[in-house]
Amino acid sequence: MPKRLYRSFQALLLLGMCIFLGSKAASGQLTYYINQRFVPLTIFGVIFLAILAQTMFSENKRSRQHDSEHDHDHDHAPASANLWFMLVPLLIGVLIPARPLDSSAFATKGFNTNSPLVSADSSAQLFETDSEDRNVLDWIKLFNYETNLAPFIGQKASVIGFVYFDETLGKNQFFVSRFVVSCCAADGFALAMISEWPQAATLEQDSWVLVKGVVKSVTLNDRVVPLIQAESVQAVPEPEQPYLFP
Amino acid sequence: MTVVIIFPVQNTTSPRPLPRSLILSILIGILLMVVLSMVPSGFFAWLWEKLNVFATVFLGIFVEAIPYLLLGTLASGLVEVFMDRDQMSKWISHRPIAAAVGGAFMGLVFPVCECGVVPLTRRLFNKGLPLSAGISFLLAAPVLNPIVVFSTAAAFGWGNMLFWRMGISLVIAIVVGLVFSVEKDSANVLRPVLNLSHEHDHTPEANASIAEKFRQALLITADEFFEMGRYLILGAMLAAGLQTFIAQSSLLAIGSGPVLSVLVMLVLAILLSICSTVDAFVALGFMGTFSFGSVLSFLVFGPMVDIKSVIMYLQVFRRRSVTYLVAIPFMMSLLAGILFNYFQP
Repeated sequence: MPKRLYRSFQALLLLGMCIFLGSKAASGQLTYYINQRFVPLTIFGVIFLAILAQTMFSENKRSRQHDSEHDHDHDHAPASANLWFMLVPLLIGVLIPARPLDSSAFATKGFNTNSPLVSADSSAQLFETDSEDRNVLDWIKLFNYETNLAPFIGQKASVIGFVYFDETLGKNQFFVSRFVVSCCAADGFALAMISEWPQAATLEQDSWVLVKGVVKSVTLNDRVVPLIQAESVQAVPEPEQPYLFP
Repeated sequence: MTVVIIFPVQNTTSPRPLPRSLILSILIGILLMVVLSMVPSGFFAWLWEKLNVFATVFLGIFVEAIPYLLLGTLASGLVEVFMDRDQMSKWISHRPIAAAVGGAFMGLVFPVCECGVVPLTRRLFNKGLPLSAGISFLLAAPVLNPIVVFSTAAAFGWGNMLFWRMGISLVIAIVVGLVFSVEKDSANVLRPVLNLSHEHDHTPEANASIAEKFRQALLITADEFFEMGRYLILGAMLAAGLQTFIAQSSLLAIGSGPVLSVLVMLVLAILLSICSTVDAFVALGFMGTFSFGSVLSFLVFGPMVDIKSVIMYLQVFRRRSVTYLVAIPFMMSLLAGILFNYFQP
């Protein structure tokens, strides 16, 4: 492939990548893939990709002028396979509709009712937050790290998550679950809280719900985990950020 | 990697022979239809679900790595343009031990993670960096750099984990650097670089303006971004594929016992392929299920070796060297993890 053609394709791909990432950032779908914390880095990447694309375009313009001045040998461009590979993420991103991790990933990514996720500072302030502000991750952290659970039993809870049914559950029970992503979707894993509701059978797998009720504790696989005795379960739209970030 | 299949040349003289490719594609078509009619009806729904998970995980790794790869290739471009061989030999000693130690600490100057370090190391070799220094840099820089120090401290606090992570990574990097210093001819270690300086079709003169130099650096950055991006994409696809089809829980289920748990964490480090700048937050999630030693080995080994970095190493180093680059850190991280499991109270 002549060098100038290679450069043109490079420029187009860089521009494509820049637009792809930029539009994901604008629509907020970037958090389907990475932790919110790293979004600014991606934005830096978008800007830099735009600069690179511009450099490539102007380089081509220059070399065209250059060639008309003296006769220039054709330079060998790097392998064109490089270009094909760069097309892969663009194609995957465009052709496969963006969808955050959901229960179809449970089979391989695993799913926990207790996961000890605590960073050096977070536990103390967790106990002070209003009980209805705690999300699934907060409750599970709390049950993992608090030895005296008595003050928390009977507190009101209000959590959002998607419905997951499992054969380990009893009648009228379902899991309300969220994926937790520390860095990118590759390390995402699901956390789930048991909920009990008389009409649980009417819920649909993977549908998003807001569960309000009272927290109790039960023992599941030899660990004490929280259970929500639901007073109301209402369908809600998928949150803009489907994952929780520890 | 291109596979060239050479068909035997046929001298068919019969009139209008059916082209072989046509027959082949008809056969494949029939075969496909037979196979498709046999698959159970739920198969495609299942495949579609899997494909969705694959796409999300793949794009997760890719989107996360892009800024770091850009930074690494930019550093490489700047080194190419602004640094010459004389400066390099002035700064870096050629005595093996000093070079290995110096190389290991170079990460403090070039804050790159494991995606960015590969092109940068190759560029530095090209500028005459001694082998031992380059290898130590390659292994140590993804851990021993300011970004990773802070992210590890954010996850684990300024304590034992941070100290031992940095310390053990440093030791491993220096040891591997020294092992490579035995080899005097770098051609036995590095793959021949064909056109690393092809960008010099308009070689910047010594007195080229700063703007012109930056332009050159950006051109190199773009070329290298494509070249290394290719292997990043390959690695991310492989990692995402493995994650889509291999259950992580089955791996964690076998992970008890002082030796086995370390092995499980090392395999997980390879499979997950997450960037070293953020892996501390991921490791935090394992702290309850796994011992200090096992998580430490994950944090030490993960930045040195994972699927995408091995694929990138293979573009720079000869296969035998890559074996050493993977095996020695693996053994040493395993040893470190086991020692901690046995002797840490």
